[in-house]
Amino acid sequence: MVPVPGRLASRVVPRSGVTRRRREIGWAYVLMAPALLMVLAVLAYPVAWEVWIGLTSFSSHTEGGPEFVGLLNYRTMLADTFFWRALLTTVVYFAVTTAAKLALGLAMALLLARPARGRTLVFLAVFLPWAYPGGVTVVAWYWMLNPPLITGYSVSAGNLKHAVDTFLGNGAYAFLSVMLFNVWRGGSFTAVFLLAGLNAIPTELFEYARLETVSAWQRFRQVTVPLLRPYLALAAFLSFTTAFADLANVWMLTGGRVVFPVIGTYAYWLGIRNGQLAEAAAWSLSLVPLLAIGLFFLFRWFDPPQEKPA
Amino acid sequence: MRGRLRRWRHGLLLGVAALYSLFPIYFITVQSLKTPEEDVFGHPLYVAAPTFENYTDLFEEGEARVRGYVIVPRVPFLIWLLNSALVLTGTVAVTLVVGVLAAYALGRLQPPGWRWWRRALFTTYVIPQTILFIPLYQVIIRLGLDDNHLALILIYSTMALPFCVWILSAYYRNLPREIEDSALVEGATPATAFLRIMLPMSRNVLVAAFLFTLGTVGNDFMLASIFLLDPDKQTVAAGLGVMDVSLEELLAVAGVNLAAIPVVVVCAALARGYVRGLTAAMVEGA
Repeated sequence: MVPVPGRLASRVVPRSGVTRRRREIGWAYVLMAPALLMVLAVLAYPVAWEVWIGLTSFSSHTEGGPEFVGLLNYRTMLADTFFWRALLTTVVYFAVTTAAKLALGLAMALLLARPARGRTLVFLAVFLPWAYPGGVTVVAWYWMLNPPLITGYSVSAGNLKHAVDTFLGNGAYAFLSVMLFNVWRGGSFTAVFLLAGLNAIPTELFEYARLETVSAWQRFRQVTVPLLRPYLALAAFLSFTTAFADLANVWMLTGGRVVFPVIGTYAYWLGIRNGQLAEAAAWSLSLVPLLAIGLFFLFRWFDPPQEKPA
Repeated sequence: MRGRLRRWRHGLLLGVAALYSLFPIYFITVQSLKTPEEDVFGHPLYVAAPTFENYTDLFEEGEARVRGYVIVPRVPFLIWLLNSALVLTGTVAVTLVVGVLAAYALGRLQPPGWRWWRRALFTTYVIPQTILFIPLYQVIIRLGLDDNHLALILIYSTMALPFCVWILSAYYRNLPREIEDSALVEGATPATAFLRIMLPMSRNVLVAAFLFTLGTVGNDFMLASIFLLDPDKQTVAAGLGVMDVSLEELLAVAGVNLAAIPVVVVCAALARGYVRGLTAAMVEGA
């Protein structure tokens, strides 16, 4: 985040100026082409399809092709109280897991940033939840919290589940276990990412801060967090996007036995189990505005306009 | 005295972090080493008489096997492992090659609006995945790639690309231009200058991109089990995803644990580079 003279110099085009620049731009498009084509090939049609289907009455129960119904699906969805409840759960899920991941990740990153014996090994341990193939870790968490009947501690786990479910409502325990899993896995990614962010901050700044601030807490609040803000923003955004992938994984691995009343899984249920594809499309697209807002803030914090000396 | 106390506290907290991170993996590995009897009567946290039955069984021939009172169908695990390795290698190769090209274009050649191109790529992360695989399936069939590893390679690469392009282009943008220019003065073409000088310099960022791709591939189940149906073509993830019994089946855990060994080795070797690479991508002018 320190402005560097090299960047200014790169704007100056030497010698045969204009033609060279034009050639460069031409090459730039050629080199970008594979990436853009790949993304387009994979995503353009599916996204268009999803948007279009959301505007029709398409379902696997009706004969013939999709029939245009305008915003009907969205209107029905918005009038449904269940939608608002699911939306609330989703927002809570996003907010709680992301906050937990950032807090845990930051704590672990700060721990690891300080030199200590055995730090490398601890670092590797912290890195593993994210790097370890999801298959084991999903099963591990599921098994730990929802053991099969045959194990010795099934009874106590069952009692815990019962207690949580009576206290918070049916399905709460399952939902909490997915949250825990997501935080465990995502927190690991966040920790490593923020550690890299901490390393990117020049140490002089911290030494200077040590002189200028009174307490460690003040230093943390007024120096570390503001300096880390762009990385925190990116970590939070990536946390959003993986939060749903994890839901899908758990859904998949539990054979659909664990049902959560959140937008993503309900859309899946509508579309795949019920065949109401149009409604499912509307439901899953309903999250786009939320994510777009997240993205807007991300770009503001992480990718500020060129001139701004961040 | 105070410094000693602090060091102890720091060490203790590090220990807690390690324990917290490793516990679930430890826990399930312990379960996978138990005999059926110990499964029922043993302690959940350790194994008294470990057996590698679950692990060795993965490689045995035959239609089914008996564990305790349950008959379990056999799976072509070795083939799954090979397929996983194939898909992973393909995805990494495609992501890194395509990603480096795009990153060089965006970070160094900087066509007009490069910032927006980069953002546009990143925006793909906003697309809700929930039912996207239905039209995606149509695309894959149209491309003639159903039941083909290329389908997964293509999809995983698209998922990993935006992040990889982002960090790589940030790095190339911040690299002082004089480095490349001095090579050009010596008479090298831009391509050789890039391949011989800039690419090796970005080693750590490439490591970061590589590990991110690895994580992306390693954590998907849904797509793998949707796009690969033929048991002989499936990856470990696809195979497990369609195994309905997987949760009661420690064989699956044993399988993924085995698959994880190379992953852990690779991570141990590259973890440092990962952090350095991310840092290098973030620090302007690194």
